[in-house]
Amino acid sequence: MSIFYLVAFLAIIFALMTIFTKNPVHSVLYLVVTFFTLTIHYILLNAQFLAVVNFIVYMGAIMVLFLFVLMLLNLNEESEPMKSNLVKIMGAVAGMCLIATFLGAFKVITPNNEMVVGNAEIGLVKNLGKVLFNEFLLPFEISSILLLTAMIGAVLLAKKDPKKV
Amino acid sequence: MGAIITLGILGILLLYLGLYKAKQALLPTTIIGLLVALGFSLSLWTKDATALYHGMVIFDRYAIAFSALLIIVTVLILLLSKEYFRSISDNIAEYYCLIVFSLMGALLVAAYHNFAMLFVGIEIMSVALYILVGIRKSDFASNEAALKYFLMGAFSTGFLLFGITLIYGAAGTFDLSGLREYVMSSTAISPLFYAGVLLMLCGLCFKVGAAPFHFWTPDVYDGAPILITTFMSTVVKVASFVGFFRLFSMVMVPVSEFWTPVLLMITIITLSIGNITALLQVSFKRMMAYSSISHAGYMLFAIVSIGPASASSILMYAVAYCFASVIAFGALILVKRKTGSEQFESFNGLAKREPLLALVLTVAMLSLAGVPLTAGFIGKFMMFNNVMGNYNIMLLIIAVINAAIAVYYYLHVVVNMYFKRGHEEPADRIMISNSYTIVLGIAAVLTIVFGVYPDVIIGLI
Repeated sequence: MSIFYLVAFLAIIFALMTIFTKNPVHSVLYLVVTFFTLTIHYILLNAQFLAVVNFIVYMGAIMVLFLFVLMLLNLNEESEPMKSNLVKIMGAVAGMCLIATFLGAFKVITPNNEMVVGNAEIGLVKNLGKVLFNEFLLPFEISSILLLTAMIGAVLLAKKDPKKV
Repeated sequence: MGAIITLGILGILLLYLGLYKAKQALLPTTIIGLLVALGFSLSLWTKDATALYHGMVIFDRYAIAFSALLIIVTVLILLLSKEYFRSISDNIAEYYCLIVFSLMGALLVAAYHNFAMLFVGIEIMSVALYILVGIRKSDFASNEAALKYFLMGAFSTGFLLFGITLIYGAAGTFDLSGLREYVMSSTAISPLFYAGVLLMLCGLCFKVGAAPFHFWTPDVYDGAPILITTFMSTVVKVASFVGFFRLFSMVMVPVSEFWTPVLLMITIITLSIGNITALLQVSFKRMMAYSSISHAGYMLFAIVSIGPASASSILMYAVAYCFASVIAFGALILVKRKTGSEQFESFNGLAKREPLLALVLTVAMLSLAGVPLTAGFIGKFMMFNNVMGNYNIMLLIIAVINAAIAVYYYLHVVVNMYFKRGHEEPADRIMISNSYTIVLGIAAVLTIVFGVYPDVIIGLI
């Protein structure tokens, strides 16, 4: 349990650093560390597949993408648009409302939730595969259309149009 | 299920047709494929509905009726597309394919019985649209619309997913009948469930474009190519409503004291904001975008006061709204092709030059405004009737005031057509191809037929 508290503490610290740091590249690097702490959480929960996916896809692929975009856009403090105080206050109030809702909802959760403890082995690759190819076969298959759509879109938008004369 | 598989295969077939440069065959193939899918859908009409594939999808009458509506509207829109896409870009096959995939997502949303399918359906529908909105790559407004739609859509999907997770945390199931059992039987519903309901409400309101989550709607509808706007404001909006209504009518009714006040406020804000901002617009397309927000408000009535007649009233409203929108946007394409502008002024004197087109557009506007003898009137009447059954007088009064405001801006364009003088000579006619005549004619006739004999639709569900 003490590992959990340490990692959770680190996760919150690095998440806050992501928001508060001025330099966008630092911000992205802190986000990488935040994701890493989340990966440890998944391992603690015995969700190995999720941990591996989080490690490879989020920390690897998506964060590199983030960094690339940042370097291409060349963001810095001067180019950042000024937000008015009203927007900031509204954002803060809305965020606090959301936090209040969640705290209210999570308050009564006892750690001994039977749904969580009920099947501790569910996060292993073997069990996940069994569920995926049995109960959730239809959504799994139809996701292929989703991926195909995204692929068509990427090619369509990125392809150079032939020059019209 | 046959319809969904047909659409999946049809999309891939269209890609191959595009590969082999069979451009003439694209539209007929798509139409035939859609009609086959329609046939598959309707063939299940008399069968008993059970949830298929481990309770993933259910093709009950509710799902079939809406699937049929969505497919028919898509056919009408595609018939309008004949010359339209060619003027935008060369990759026509991909556009047809994306529209077909998007329709497939819409059918999944109409027939889902498990949150996994809801999510996959909404995503297929939206991802295809993010691309379609941005297909005019060199046009700045189109790019902005695509980016905005993508960011907002991703954001709202996040809300939806978070809501689904919390509900799963409370009930331990994604299945709608399982959830219903949980809500009915459980003595103490976990607070997680309520938080999940709120988040799902936010996510779904984003998708249907209800205020205060409507900020993306005007810019996206305005920036997208007109035909895509038509598709978005009819098929996608109706499909999102179908999913919204299925969730709330199947699962959430026992906890209605919790969410009804929230949804009631959302409905009132949606109605008022949509109507009042539509009043101020000078562009016809932007006016239609804002008025689509207020129509979302009217459709929310069915969810605010769920009763036995809610499903058929939402169907009636959707039918009226879809056909009228197809006419309005079809006429806008024709007018814009001639004058190059989307302002109200470009409709000036249309009645002199094109009496039939002006008449059809008038029917559509009257239907959107809810004037008797059109389908729109029946739709509004049934919605108001729902609310009246619940003795929700305040909402009713606000709705009536809004309906009166709406008459003003819908008749604005009619006044421009009939009583303002245009710049062009009467001989300067618009070229109207056969497909436009057929589509606009069918939609106008159906609008009036359903307005006079509404029982055809009402008796369905």
